Amino acid sequence: MSEEKREGKGFSDIWTERYRPNNFKDVIGQEEIVKRIDGFVSSKNLPHLLFSGPAGVGKSSLALIVVKKLFGNNWKENYLELNASDERGIDVVRQKVKNFARTRSLGDVTFKIIFLDEADALTKEAQQALRRTMENYSGTCRFILSCNYSSKIIDPIQSRCAIFRFSLLNEKDVEKIIKNVSKNEGLDVDESAMKALYEVSNGDCRRIINLLQASSSVGKKITAEVIYQIVSAAKPKDIKKILELAIEGKFVESRELLLEVMLKQSVSGLDIIKEINREIWKLNIKDEEKVKIIEKCGEIEFRLTEGSDEFIQLESLLASFLLIGKGKE
Amino acid sequence: MSGKNIFVDKYSTKSLKDFVGQDESILLIKRFIINFRKGKKACIIHGPTGSGKTSLIYALANDMGFEVIELNASDFRGRKDIESHLKRASEQKSLFSKSKIILIDEIDGIVEGKDRGGLTYLESFMLESQYPVFLTANDIWQKKFNSIRQKCELVQLREANHNLITLFLERICATEGIKANRDALLKLAIKERGDFRAALNDIQVLCSGSSTISNEDVDKINEREKDEGIFNALQLVFKMVKLDSKILSAYENLNMNLDDVSLWLDENIPKEYSGKELAKAYDFMSKSDIFKRRIMRQQHWGFLVYQNMLLTAGISSAKSSPKPAFTKYQRPSRLLKIWMFNRKKEQVKSISIKYARFTHCSIKRAVKEFEILKIIFRRDKIREELNLTEEETEFLRN
Repeated sequence: MSEEKREGKGFSDIWTERYRPNNFKDVIGQEEIVKRIDGFVSSKNLPHLLFSGPAGVGKSSLALIVVKKLFGNNWKENYLELNASDERGIDVVRQKVKNFARTRSLGDVTFKIIFLDEADALTKEAQQALRRTMENYSGTCRFILSCNYSSKIIDPIQSRCAIFRFSLLNEKDVEKIIKNVSKNEGLDVDESAMKALYEVSNGDCRRIINLLQASSSVGKKITAEVIYQIVSAAKPKDIKKILELAIEGKFVESRELLLEVMLKQSVSGLDIIKEINREIWKLNIKDEEKVKIIEKCGEIEFRLTEGSDEFIQLESLLASFLLIGKGKE
Repeated sequence: MSGKNIFVDKYSTKSLKDFVGQDESILLIKRFIINFRKGKKACIIHGPTGSGKTSLIYALANDMGFEVIELNASDFRGRKDIESHLKRASEQKSLFSKSKIILIDEIDGIVEGKDRGGLTYLESFMLESQYPVFLTANDIWQKKFNSIRQKCELVQLREANHNLITLFLERICATEGIKANRDALLKLAIKERGDFRAALNDIQVLCSGSSTISNEDVDKINEREKDEGIFNALQLVFKMVKLDSKILSAYENLNMNLDDVSLWLDENIPKEYSGKELAKAYDFMSKSDIFKRRIMRQQHWGFLVYQNMLLTAGISSAKSSPKPAFTKYQRPSRLLKIWMFNRKKEQVKSISIKYARFTHCSIKRAVKEFEILKIIFRRDKIREELNLTEEETEFLRN
């Protein structure tokens, strides 16, 4: 990715980048937070920050704005972006921080900035290690930690940060964003589409813009149909059949079909579980059995977040259906 | 048939540049040699059978102008024997005044009871050696290697993936003037399970007296004897009624890693268990898989005990009634599909990584939204912005 391209991200063909706010005033929603952060930046003095809140509401964008306002054109040299769930453990994170913190900041700001996304993915022990790192380098680095649930961040870290809770975008904010994008891209987004977008995205701005961009490949007129079509294309099919086979006791057939589905469609284990959760209520089995299945889904979903082999985990889910009504109609 | 015609020799790798996919390991080994005077005195190269451990050393020696003094640990008979072998090795004058490296092959073969003190002697030998010492092993995590392991540089060779082996076989066929169906070679590659040596031997069988290789030909190649061991292990696990701690070592001498054992279990559990038993057994499989992930994530090998326990005692205890009848176990049949599935996951991940870096989001998130992003990636300009390779573009097209 060349320098020029990165600078001129406003001209990127990826809409989430093209419409990313570059100034505090362009940030939609989060007014209180923006005001306070703007204040920090003006005084060129920043404590460690903890951004907590749902996905796609502006945490990364705000961090980027902070960095650009503080460092101007030098921002890239003074900014390190890490994602805790992508890295292979806290030691890798600490090593990267160490290497980054070694060199002094350029410009008149005395510290560099490290943005650690999904900090709540770190275990308690890893967070303790992180806290020590934060202390060791607080002279030369400020951390902006980002997470979905601040309750998952250990107290010692929370007490060292200024905490900002981001809220979900409301319908009005979402409308503003959609209108901005459609104006610039020449889209015609009707009322029903707006509602649909809000419904399927849960106020997640990144998702909304991605959906808009994907929908635009169908045509300039965006309707609720188009939105639902795109969203359902991302959902796994044949799940109902897989469930029925498993409940009938036909384990081997059921898992063959599961393997087919996972091969042909790019769906993840989590998508499949979500879809199972939806389909289960429509099945013709006793209520308490439905509940048992959902319970088991929860267990497997938890294992999926811990275990690596999706197929083995889902297989064991299907196998557990053998315990539930065999061929009961 | 003269020596030259044996494929294992004819197509052996003569230089490091013939090795594909082991770049990291090669770098580590080179660094070990360069730092020999001040660093660790010995290097253990470990990995599955036929992954290239010994060839790597010879290729390296060839490239760097070293002479290799080779000993095979399975020739050792007791400590005195080890001593005299090693002494002779280090005193041996080089025929061509080259520098030397000492290679002790297959140290798995050293039996602690029989060759008592053998490993200890080996350790002290390597620490005093004036030449770099290389050791090769299949499974370096055995308890008997605890001490020696800490004193050595560890280099792991990964099991060659099916793609690499297929490429390798294609090259050989081209050189020998054989017309081979690509699917047939892929099938053969999968059968070989990362074992280059076995692949070379099998392809020689297929090439002799024939100028074509078809799917049917490959089917006729007999599965190697590996099966007997796993059949016995499965029998033990499925048939044992009263749990006995000896079940914990069911998979020990199989020369198969637990991943492969899981595949065998996965294939054969439905043959022995049904209903509740089946559900229980798969529950243990999934729990075992969690420990596998934890081992990788935390590099905490203590968890291996649990992973193994669940796959032995766990699976065995799942039965609700004895299974005395003879069961014909089968090889894992879905390897090809699972391989394809994993390949696909890799592709999705590599594209997601590029997207995630560019858009400041996590890789996980990108993978989650992939179906929607796929539509966005249809635009040429965007694929250019993300620097997607031709292979990735091709993948998206399907």
